[in-house]
Amino acid sequence: MTNHWIDIANSDCILTMGSNPLKNHPIGFKWVMKAVERGATLISVDPRFTRTSKKSHVYAPLRSGTDICFLGGMIKYILENNLYFEEYVQEYTNASFLVNPDFKLPGENEGVFSGLKGEKTQEGYFDGKYDKATWSFQKDEKGKIKKDPTLKDPLSVFQLLKKHYARYDLDIVSSITGCPKEDLLAVYKEYAKTGVPNKTGTVLYAMGWTQHTVGTQNIRTMCIIQLLLGNMGMAGGGINALRGESNVQGSTDHGLLFHIYPGYLKSAKASQATFSDYNKANTTVSDDPMSLNWWKNYPKYSASLMREFYGKDVSLEDAYSYLPKIDDGVDHSWLTIFEKMYEKKIKGFFSWGQNPACSGANANKTRESMKNLDWMVTVNLFDNETSSFWRGPGMNPKEIKTEVFLLPCAASFEKEGSITNSGRWMQWRYKAVSPPGDAMSDADIINILLNRLKKVYAKEKSVFPDPILKLRWEYGPKDSKGNIKHIDIPMVAKEINGYFVEDKIIKGKIYNKGMLVPNFTLLQDDGSTSSGCWIYSGSYTEEGNMSARRGKDDPSGIGLYPDWSWTWPLNRRIIYNRASVDKNGKPWAPHKPVIEWENNVWKGDVADGGLPPMASGKPSCYPFITQVDGVGHIFGPGLVDGPFPEHYEPLESPLDENLLSKQLVNPIVKRFDIVKGNEKINARASHDPRFPIICTTYRLIEHWQTGVMTRWQPWLVEMEPSLCVEIGGDLAEQKGIKQGDKVIVKSARGDLEAIAMVTVRWRPFRILDRLVHQVGLPYHYGWATTAERKYGKIDKKPEFFTYGDSVNILTPNIGDANTMVPESKCFMVDIVKKV
Amino acid sequence: MAEMAIFIDVYKCTACRACQVACKNWNQLKADKTESRGSHENPTDLSANTWNRIRFREVLMPDGKIDWSFFSDRCRHCDPAPCMEASKIPEAIVKHETGAVLFGEKTKELYFQDIRDACPFDIPRMDEKSKKIVKCTLCIDRVTNGLKPSCVTACSTSALLYGPKAEMLSLAKKRVKELGGNACLYPGEEFNTIWALPDTPKHYGIAEAPKIHNYMFAGSKLFSPLGKASLAVGLIGYMRTRTERNQ
Repeated sequence: MTNHWIDIANSDCILTMGSNPLKNHPIGFKWVMKAVERGATLISVDPRFTRTSKKSHVYAPLRSGTDICFLGGMIKYILENNLYFEEYVQEYTNASFLVNPDFKLPGENEGVFSGLKGEKTQEGYFDGKYDKATWSFQKDEKGKIKKDPTLKDPLSVFQLLKKHYARYDLDIVSSITGCPKEDLLAVYKEYAKTGVPNKTGTVLYAMGWTQHTVGTQNIRTMCIIQLLLGNMGMAGGGINALRGESNVQGSTDHGLLFHIYPGYLKSAKASQATFSDYNKANTTVSDDPMSLNWWKNYPKYSASLMREFYGKDVSLEDAYSYLPKIDDGVDHSWLTIFEKMYEKKIKGFFSWGQNPACSGANANKTRESMKNLDWMVTVNLFDNETSSFWRGPGMNPKEIKTEVFLLPCAASFEKEGSITNSGRWMQWRYKAVSPPGDAMSDADIINILLNRLKKVYAKEKSVFPDPILKLRWEYGPKDSKGNIKHIDIPMVAKEINGYFVEDKIIKGKIYNKGMLVPNFTLLQDDGSTSSGCWIYSGSYTEEGNMSARRGKDDPSGIGLYPDWSWTWPLNRRIIYNRASVDKNGKPWAPHKPVIEWENNVWKGDVADGGLPPMASGKPSCYPFITQVDGVGHIFGPGLVDGPFPEHYEPLESPLDENLLSKQLVNPIVKRFDIVKGNEKINARASHDPRFPIICTTYRLIEHWQTGVMTRWQPWLVEMEPSLCVEIGGDLAEQKGIKQGDKVIVKSARGDLEAIAMVTVRWRPFRILDRLVHQVGLPYHYGWATTAERKYGKIDKKPEFFTYGDSVNILTPNIGDANTMVPESKCFMVDIVKKV
Repeated sequence: MAEMAIFIDVYKCTACRACQVACKNWNQLKADKTESRGSHENPTDLSANTWNRIRFREVLMPDGKIDWSFFSDRCRHCDPAPCMEASKIPEAIVKHETGAVLFGEKTKELYFQDIRDACPFDIPRMDEKSKKIVKCTLCIDRVTNGLKPSCVTACSTSALLYGPKAEMLSLAKKRVKELGGNACLYPGEEFNTIWALPDTPKHYGIAEAPKIHNYMFAGSKLFSPLGKASLAVGLIGYMRTRTERNQ
């Protein structure tokens, strides 16, 4: 979230799209209800009438996978009716920048942007890659970006935006999305009201936006809207991702994904041979004195990370040389890992705190892939579909050689640590009870693993032992042999914050070796500081553990609660908050000020960048300090699939044409189905008469993730015992399916049994001249707790069985062009009554 | 202790069912074996193990809009309580000073069907093992120790509130007024669990308070406790025939 949970209550208009917060974020939803009580409008846009829709003032249905089209229509509406926040757009975004004259929009270039290289089929391009040379700005002789503050130049970002979305008229948007025109207009009208300076709108999105081949661009479309309406940086505004797991924010901040290190530093690439190559490639440069260009500080953060990894006895260059390098252009995302496993190129696998046999898209492929492993270690609370994959449906244990180790671990209440919520609040929590039996915390398991690895590397002559042997490990009290018995979690938190590793004088102030760094503005590029995750620097200082604070004062009056826990960065509760004030530092919305310049200081939240306002005559900065040019990107050349979002059909669609252009699907996505032909394991079935029904996936409030923790809990199973497929009444009638019938849902990749839940909440979409039906199933189920499986002598039987396997049996393994997040929210199925 | 009440603000209920589970958790009630019948509503009925459950109802309205409503079904803690009046053993069912109608050990000596039939809302259930008659206790063991009822504590949207009855009634009335239209105070003022319903009881598929009930209460205030009991007992038969039942 750019903002935070409590801040939702400050909003005038809340758009829930790609999310169903009432069901999936029930505690956080109370802030939505508070906003509504204060008079805010709540909008729900969802293929299915959800519980959030029930509470909403405006509900609009849309066919899954058409969000860009829906929102593109809103951009057109805002621009054509002059409902944007003009001063904000002129001053705080790149709307006035002039674009390279050779740049081409999809409307004039067969549905793709200029610069595409790739192969072409009847559906348009596939497996493409953009040469972004034309996605650039015009520069004057001094190298400064040319601008037209009047926004009238036909090559200005603003005019190009207008031209691009002029194609998204109500008729075409309604035909593609299946949303009636009056519903589209109702949403556009309500949301666009927040374009006035003192009103704000917010968006709450979740996996309904990310799990698409155009997932990142779904969010980008909304970013453009938020910039046009002046909603970024404001109380009750922002772009707010509702996280799907309690610590997803924290784990991503700490480098969970393959392409990033802690603090969103980039993973090292093979082409970056030295530390200076690496820093140079990632450090941005700006000549504009008004641009704070935050990533100019990159070497300070990377050097501090090297110090945390290898300490001050290893040079920064050597520390960098120890890091594994990723081959340029190669991705190691989830889908690719399982593709490699399927190709027998991965031999060993740690499945830590997860259940890929149920959670990964295309579960049959995931399960098949595991057969190719020599060994697998699963760390979990309970046996599950992954640790027991070798005895799951369709498996013959005698033919599977994979050796599986199941390590029992502590649950969240059985260990100390911090959790970072969607609003970036790092909240400390204490251990309530000790883990049972042999179970231990993840940190202690890792500790044992490292000790064993070090022993092996020391004893056996390995080629490159230093990265393991020299790894710094100062996370607990050591015994006489130098080993740590138990990890001390506060010590880990301090290492994340960072230390001065030598005496240092900064701006005349002395910082002694061994002192905790006050915050990341004091991190150094010369190796004198360490920090395990620069954005968390400031969370555990000489003053103590900031995340354990529980102060309940709110001097802001807008729910910032600065003394409750701690928020990255620098305890800033609303990021981009400089955009909430005019050039004189006065809030656009004086009744809910985030920051305000008064008597030469900023009042309120921790101001972005700290410098005085832009019109103060003193050194100042543009509001979007992490962007190299300091402004919000309406034209966003950073993404791989286009500087403006463009509608493409999902990889599996009921249509064989894109009504907007000749390019059917996102041309950049990695196509496993083409690489591997159409074999069942990577199969795709778009516009295929065998699979005429759109299908989506979602969650229930009663179960958690793949259900490993909840399917054993009788009180929860009592409420939701079975996998149900929700289908509309018309479709049920067509298919001869009645309430509660057992049915089989089929996709190109697998068949899945479920109970039919016939409901008025699903209604067909009118697409062109025909009706298209959509159905949906929840995540959470798996074969391990069902009655049908065999239970061995030592297997625990659930008190009540669940019914149904993972919905991922149906989902396709195709990922978003930018992130490789699988398209689990939209694919094609058929449904038949089980006989 | 003062007379207390639970106020259920149905407008705020999101059917998260935290109250349904919290009730089982505090009272250590086992799960009922259920199966999916094509609705999220489960279990299908109150039972010796289920003292509070959310009823779901979805309707396609003539104007094409969808109405999806939720109702937490549980003991209304009537005052006076027809179940108490129907009890042949005085100490088996008592009205606590907090307003809670409590079923004790001696309910196993009562004829269950009499008690169930006496209830206008079909709440009491018998535990097959112990033969005790059971239902919501308004968490008497919590509230007499300074805690709020378990369901109230679990409610994230403040749809459930617990406090002095006068205060709860005034909040409920305020909500009814705000909602307007068919909104109503349910079942009425003479109960220690009260709902602000956005629509009529019929819309939620629940029994209205028997009309006789208010009359009985008005009358009973005039009589001594003994008189109240005898009046009530005399009216039970009348009530049984007049009570609009849920199912």
